[in-house]
Amino acid sequence: MGVINRRDFLTISSAFLAGSTVLGGGFVLSPYRQGEVTSLKSDKVVKTTCELCFWRCGIDAHVKDGKVFKIAGQKDHPLSNGKLCPRGLGGHGLLYDPDRLKHPLIRKNVNGKSSFHKATWDEATTLIASRLSEITEEHGPESVAMFSHGFGASFFKTLLSAYGIDTFTAPSYGQCRGPRTEAFKLTFGHGVGSPEGLDIANSKYLVLIGSHLGENMHNTQVQEFSQAIAKGCRIVAVDPRFSTAAGKAETWLPIKAGTDIALLRSWIHILIEEKLYDEDFIAENAIGLSELKKSVRDATPEKTFAITGIPVEMIVKVARDLGRYQNQALVHPGRHVTWYGDDTQRERAIAILNALLGNYRAKGGLLSQKTYPIPKYDFPKPKKSSRKFKSVYPFAGSIPSNEIVDRTLADSPESFKAWFIYGTNLIHTLGDQKSTIEALRKLKFVVAVDVLPMEITGYADVVLPECTYLERFDDLDARAYKKPYLAIRQPAVKPLFDSKPGFEIARMLSKKMGLPDLFPDKIETYLESRLKKIGHSLVELQEKGVFVNQDSGLYRSQNEKMRFDTPSGKIELVSNKLREKGFDPVPKYTQHPENPPGFFRLLFGRAPMHTFGRTANNRILGELMPENELWVNAVAGQDMKLKNGEYLYLVNQDNIKSKTPIRVRLTQRIRPDVVFMVHGFGHTDPRLKTARNRGASDADLISHLDVDPIMGGTGMNNNFVTFTREA
Amino acid sequence: MTEIISNKLNPYVYPNLDIWHYEIPLYLFLGGLAGGLLILSSGMILFKKESIENKAVRWATLLSPVILSIGMLFLLLDLEFKIHFWRFYTAFIFTSPMSWGAWMLLIFYPFSVMQALIVFKDYINFYPFILKTIKITEPHLQKIAVVNVHIGTGIGVYTGVLLSTFYARPLWNSSVLGFLFLLSGISTAAAVMLIICNSGDKRTFLKVDMYLISLEGFAATLFIIGGVTSAGAFHDAMVYLISGTYAAWFWVLFILCGLIIPLLLETLEVLNKVRYSPLVPLLVIIGSLSLRFIIVNAGQSFSTFY
Amino acid sequence: MARKKKYAMFIDTLKCVGCSACVYACKSENQVPEGFCRDWVVQKTEGTFPHLSQLIRSERCQHCENAPCVTNCPTGASYYPGDGTVQVDRNLCTGCKACIAACPYDARYIHPVGFADKCTFCQHRLKEGLQPACVTACPTETLKLVDLMENSSTIEDLVNGRQIVKDKVHAGTKPKLFWLV
Repeated sequence: MGVINRRDFLTISSAFLAGSTVLGGGFVLSPYRQGEVTSLKSDKVVKTTCELCFWRCGIDAHVKDGKVFKIAGQKDHPLSNGKLCPRGLGGHGLLYDPDRLKHPLIRKNVNGKSSFHKATWDEATTLIASRLSEITEEHGPESVAMFSHGFGASFFKTLLSAYGIDTFTAPSYGQCRGPRTEAFKLTFGHGVGSPEGLDIANSKYLVLIGSHLGENMHNTQVQEFSQAIAKGCRIVAVDPRFSTAAGKAETWLPIKAGTDIALLRSWIHILIEEKLYDEDFIAENAIGLSELKKSVRDATPEKTFAITGIPVEMIVKVARDLGRYQNQALVHPGRHVTWYGDDTQRERAIAILNALLGNYRAKGGLLSQKTYPIPKYDFPKPKKSSRKFKSVYPFAGSIPSNEIVDRTLADSPESFKAWFIYGTNLIHTLGDQKSTIEALRKLKFVVAVDVLPMEITGYADVVLPECTYLERFDDLDARAYKKPYLAIRQPAVKPLFDSKPGFEIARMLSKKMGLPDLFPDKIETYLESRLKKIGHSLVELQEKGVFVNQDSGLYRSQNEKMRFDTPSGKIELVSNKLREKGFDPVPKYTQHPENPPGFFRLLFGRAPMHTFGRTANNRILGELMPENELWVNAVAGQDMKLKNGEYLYLVNQDNIKSKTPIRVRLTQRIRPDVVFMVHGFGHTDPRLKTARNRGASDADLISHLDVDPIMGGTGMNNNFVTFTREA
Repeated sequence: MTEIISNKLNPYVYPNLDIWHYEIPLYLFLGGLAGGLLILSSGMILFKKESIENKAVRWATLLSPVILSIGMLFLLLDLEFKIHFWRFYTAFIFTSPMSWGAWMLLIFYPFSVMQALIVFKDYINFYPFILKTIKITEPHLQKIAVVNVHIGTGIGVYTGVLLSTFYARPLWNSSVLGFLFLLSGISTAAAVMLIICNSGDKRTFLKVDMYLISLEGFAATLFIIGGVTSAGAFHDAMVYLISGTYAAWFWVLFILCGLIIPLLLETLEVLNKVRYSPLVPLLVIIGSLSLRFIIVNAGQSFSTFY
Repeated sequence: MARKKKYAMFIDTLKCVGCSACVYACKSENQVPEGFCRDWVVQKTEGTFPHLSQLIRSERCQHCENAPCVTNCPTGASYYPGDGTVQVDRNLCTGCKACIAACPYDARYIHPVGFADKCTFCQHRLKEGLQPACVTACPTETLKLVDLMENSSTIEDLVNGRQIVKDKVHAGTKPKLFWLV
């Protein structure tokens, strides 16, 4: 690669200005030139909301001859700003996936063999209604749980709660963001939100704890990340793996996995000892500093080095830099944070650190976000359930999905008898696959609503094919964001095959379940009615795609008196709520199991062109990444006699083998004691023709879960694997 | 240590160049042979007009356009957009060897065919137009032969230049390649004529072939030295050729079977130490054919330019 | 009279996270057939654990000023339309693949129909006053298409004193992708 300096460049550019295009040389006899590509011109552009992940960017779906051929970012949508991530750009790969669920399926037992049979919608919904009625009559509506992912579930929730079923759970809580939500609620009185309320774009010093922005392609967050880089933000990446973000970082701290709390405590210790924290802010807005100070006194950089493997001077340097930038520094709370079972405490440490920096509602810090004001639809009041689900985890703000599994397996009158599963592949999501499958086998009735024949649908009694996000209306999207917005999801094309939009399915079910007046006749009526209440019309929103309110009061003003939604009304550096329930009021470091000899700690994460299993079968997205690879440190891999590019099976500490082999990638980019793979591959359902047998699934190997006693999240990173060439 | 990961989807260039398969080496071989046959036959006619009675010369004049046509067929087979073949003749791009080659054919065919017609005039007693043409051109046979020597040389050189103008492909990008392919083409032509010729002429053609093989060996040496002594990708490409995947093919098939053994045997034959065997010129032909395959394939598998 | 243009692309390697949105955007926009691409992303990591550095580059046709594909094209199918780009006239292309062999950047492929194809800088979009599809989609604003004939202050702002890297300059092709490192 040739390198030229800027001066050279300018002379070259003036040579450009002289404008001499070298001739091709010769003559061409041609009546015309046609250098242009024959790109398609769209007949119409539909403004809608993406569902390739759950960030929900606004998209423009370009349609020609009734087919979506191109998807682009919506210009006015605050989550996309006209740009889009690879997954969203390849969304039509889901729409035209030939393996989609095409019609309802009913499990039938013929001669002792159970198999799926094609059914009509009437048959399928009738069966669901009758089975649910049987089960609720015998065991009460509390014996039915609903699992969901995504806001397409909202009408099903409306339906089930009208029926008296109100146990709703989402793996996005117990298997992903739950600990973060509870830790920040305990500290600041509110969660971080999704999309996260972080002012990354204006941050001057950003610390990422295992967060791999750039591979985690949440559009706006990555946009902000790159804006921050462009503005010279200094980045610290704490990660056992040299992630893309670590590649952008000024400092990469290849921490020993599982020791983050020790590092965070050390930073807290230095900030307090050296008085680098925002003293005025803390004095005004926080309680518990002196107790905090006392409890982190032992977290010296020297001790921390011994635990984390991060050199003392690096620990001190980052702490001092944090102190230098204070309000403009940000310690990213992460997103998938269910790692070791003490995750709420780790997130608490991150929250405390941010509090000490005084970056709350400061430019470049943590923000509190607002929603676009819109009233709910006047559904009939739902029945009150007699015995509402009560979690055994005192701070479970939502129901951890794993607890439903436990409660299903338990031999008690309160155990669950039926699951209604919407758009989440629990087999690959929950960890401890064995228990999940056992629970599914024990259940009397399982309904799965999905777009693709994911593994979970194979365990259902009835499978309902929902159409994709490009073929349906959904509820309005008005989540809290820096710029409050109200966006629509609307169909770009008519539903393919015999699939139906969620609303239609819920409405059909409502009729069969004896709630004929629950839903209006059309979803348009529902949307129109909600929009009318704020003086808008559906047509208007369909045309614009999104309404945006300008952000106001995003940043705190000087001398603004802030009140936090905590018992003390202040930021709780020390949490008495935790103390009352017998937990550490200040995060403590506990040691986690180490890898046995010859084993590697299994870590997993994202790739920019995939959203886990949801996109593994997408032929467009799969082109650039058809399978996942196992990252193994080059030196450690050579010691184990591994060859770069070879396919191996993995065996975990419980002697469980991966169902499929995975290709080894020997690399310098990872610590020698861990291995890494992208989550969402290694599908085994033969109906997933593209995804099947591509790469391996970490979910197969996460047989050990460390459940967070505070909120019930499942720590997944205490699993260890070794290699075998035997199938 | 450097780890490079590219997500380029393009089987034509990634992980290495993969655009030309059996068609192009065959085309290059047949083109070189046709050029060589034309050079030798025209040269001999120039040298001695009576050569037109010589069996080998007569066959060479006839075979040259026929073999080139077969070569052209392979070229056509290689084109991805065959019905656009005529587009070669709606443009002349003087920087493109392929364009030169295309236009050169327009000169090659009339002159080489004319020469063949004159040589075989006794067998042609039809088409008064052709007879008339032969009658008019026959006195100018020597002039036609002069032109043909040049055209033959042009075609022969062209088969190498076609590859050597690709600066991006380090193995091919050697100015010796045109020279090497030309000499290889002529020596192959001599071998073919050696097979065809009457037993009385064997000695003459053996000597011609010996001389040409020596020259080709010289060109091959220059080609190797030129590559080894250059820098970067060009050096690495040559090292790859002489010691990489294709090394055995290169040394055994081309250098040993195509050059050294025939040269040795032909020398012994001329010295009457061994009896003439048609196997020897066959080895030359095989060596020359494998040279095209080895260079085209090795040049593609080591196509990285840096 | 329309002013003469000279398009070039600036690619900020610091901002780029290698997500490959550019590739997908291009493939949809230009109906690039399955198994091929007009742009791609290269990740280069140097060093040994834990001392590593990384460079990520979005790559495509360089629209060289002295393009070997144009000089080697026997039919004039590859040509300079005069806006600083290099284009392929698929009506003239025979699919001889000389251009593919000639390109030091390996930027071309043969479309299943039979003609050579590559990045056009989305010439059809430029004519409509739009930016290329990859530039529009890029979530990190890594890509910038610039008319070098236009005010140089934009370019100076863009470069902002940073080092510019061009690929394989010794090939003498005068490439027009500029990577800011």
